[in-house]
Amino acid sequence: MRLARLAATCLALSAALPSRAERPRVVVDAPDFHPLPVAVAPFLAEGDAHAAAEATEVVRADLARSGLFEVLDPKGFLADPGEGLAPASIKFSRWADVGAEGLVKARVRKGAEGFSADLRLLEVRAGRELLARTLPAADARGLGHRIADEVVRHYTGERGIFRTRIAAIRKTRDGRELVVFDADGQNARVLLSEKALLLMPSWRPDGEELLVTSYRGGGPELWRYRFSDRSFRKVPTGRGAMGGSWSPDGSRIAFTAIEGNDTDVWTCNPDGTGQRRLTTSPALDLSPSWSPDGKRLAFVSDRAGTPQLYVMNADGSEQRRLTFQGSYNQTPQWSPRGDLIAFTARDERRVFDLFAVALDGGRVQRLTQDQGRTNEEPSWAPNGRMVAFTSDRGGLPQLVVSDPRGERQTVLTSGGELMTPAWGPLPAE
Amino acid sequence: MSGLADSAMLRRDRLWPAVVASMAVHLVLGLLALAGHGPAIDLGQQPITARLVRLGEPRPRELLPRKEEPPPAETGPEAAPAVAPPAPAAPAAMPGPATKAVASTKAPPKPAQERTGATSGTRRLGNVLAGMKQELAAGSPDGDPLGDSNEAVGDQYQAQVVRALKQNYRLPSTLSEKERLYLQGTIVLFIEPDGRVLRHEFVKRSGNSTFDEALERAVRDTRLPPPPAGAREAYRRRGLQVDFKI
Repeated sequence: MRLARLAATCLALSAALPSRAERPRVVVDAPDFHPLPVAVAPFLAEGDAHAAAEATEVVRADLARSGLFEVLDPKGFLADPGEGLAPASIKFSRWADVGAEGLVKARVRKGAEGFSADLRLLEVRAGRELLARTLPAADARGLGHRIADEVVRHYTGERGIFRTRIAAIRKTRDGRELVVFDADGQNARVLLSEKALLLMPSWRPDGEELLVTSYRGGGPELWRYRFSDRSFRKVPTGRGAMGGSWSPDGSRIAFTAIEGNDTDVWTCNPDGTGQRRLTTSPALDLSPSWSPDGKRLAFVSDRAGTPQLYVMNADGSEQRRLTFQGSYNQTPQWSPRGDLIAFTARDERRVFDLFAVALDGGRVQRLTQDQGRTNEEPSWAPNGRMVAFTSDRGGLPQLVVSDPRGERQTVLTSGGELMTPAWGPLPAE
Repeated sequence: MSGLADSAMLRRDRLWPAVVASMAVHLVLGLLALAGHGPAIDLGQQPITARLVRLGEPRPRELLPRKEEPPPAETGPEAAPAVAPPAPAAPAAMPGPATKAVASTKAPPKPAQERTGATSGTRRLGNVLAGMKQELAAGSPDGDPLGDSNEAVGDQYQAQVVRALKQNYRLPSTLSEKERLYLQGTIVLFIEPDGRVLRHEFVKRSGNSTFDEALERAVRDTRLPPPPAGAREAYRRRGLQVDFKI
């Protein structure tokens, strides 16, 4: 009995004593996300100093353009330019002094067949190696893109997009040409040069073909360009067709069919068979874009009086309106992440700008503003972390890439007049 | 006519007692005032300055949104496109104005020191002003406009700590969305009476070294306000537990 009372007293006492649970506690949330400061040390060269310098510049430009990194100005570097790759030989304090958190180093070697690089990624504060790889590439630019892809993959766990391509249509004096750029706007290759109109390329998901709208036959029709043999063949739909878009699994094509003054969204097999009409309204229905899972389509319709974005299932069921702001919304492009649809809209000042609407909740975000009179035709990078579009901010429309919030934009090209860009898929690994 | 004059005369006669009573009351009040029992007026009180701000017309809902600030000037073009010869076509250096701005926000400008007006104000008023000053120093321009002034002093201190830490709670954009879903860490800060944190201790690490390092940096870079007088010992010895979330 007494023992029990003693125990009870002890319990009461211990409860009265300040315990760890009494420590005041606060929550800090909503961090500010900022680009990670990285230093890209001038790459060491074995044989070809020029290639090493070029690869260094490519890596710096790629990382900065991605919006994920703050690439530090090499002019401020304090380290010895000949510093080696091994952590033991690196004076990390000198890199910390310039504000670097990550450090990219490489030794570029020229071999009998192309180049290779020993890449080292280091954590400056801890003074340790994060990544060591030997990467091959055919040329110095390709090597730079490979290194940048590896760095992005290390930090984000996702594949980088620096070795992808962007297709676009370029105006020529007497027609149009189909051009493919590297993802940094360099290395333009003309695939086709036509006297007739060419429009709206779309990549087959494996990157082997491009679907293009061509007026070669007099009216708008879908044509397929194949890279392997440079062939250009019509998709026999038997009707006026434009703006073809390959489904994510490559099995279907969605397009806008034109009949008189009406347009509707249809799908068919890549050979033109198995056609199916998805919209039937007498209003204009056009510009289909697949969801990443291939189960839904975004499109434009003016059935409510003004062009607005709509979504529907891939069989045409459950059509619902997505945008309620603005009076001229067009060219929807579904993000590969699935959460956003980027589009072009004309605002109340009658300028065209880029926007993105969230599938969940329909909130509209603006990407461009007061940057030329026309920013249009968005196309997502395959990782959904960047979007390409054309902008006339510097004169004739050029290719621009941006992060999905429009905070970091880079003009990639500086010649000709470009339109309807299409960002290609990731290369096979 | 004469009836009216009569009644007026009659009333004037009757007014005398009222006039006498009024004079007596005034006399008493005057005497009281002379004796120094009047309502106290604190001449040292600081004026309250209110400023009117034009809010502007709200943007109609049916219009597309506008950015508060247009995007920063873009970089590039990197170099001429077309078949690039292997000349040193160095792409333009990339660190643009955006990233510079991020780096320079490290030290937010402190609001101008306010005059305390300690010449004739009471000690209490001085304390209140000092508290306000402290809050100003720790506050952020984008602070919560619905902030509650009825918080107890202890809560107020914790709110100040949260606000100060938030200013330095920066994470690299490289953290993937998947990681952002679960990353969190808990640190106990042992706060000296002058606000310095000489010792901190991880109660729970996230396991992601980038994230954990960012938390350490936030703690190291943040100057906390001194704890309130009654709680100094507790904050120094027992500490304050901070849960960092995304």
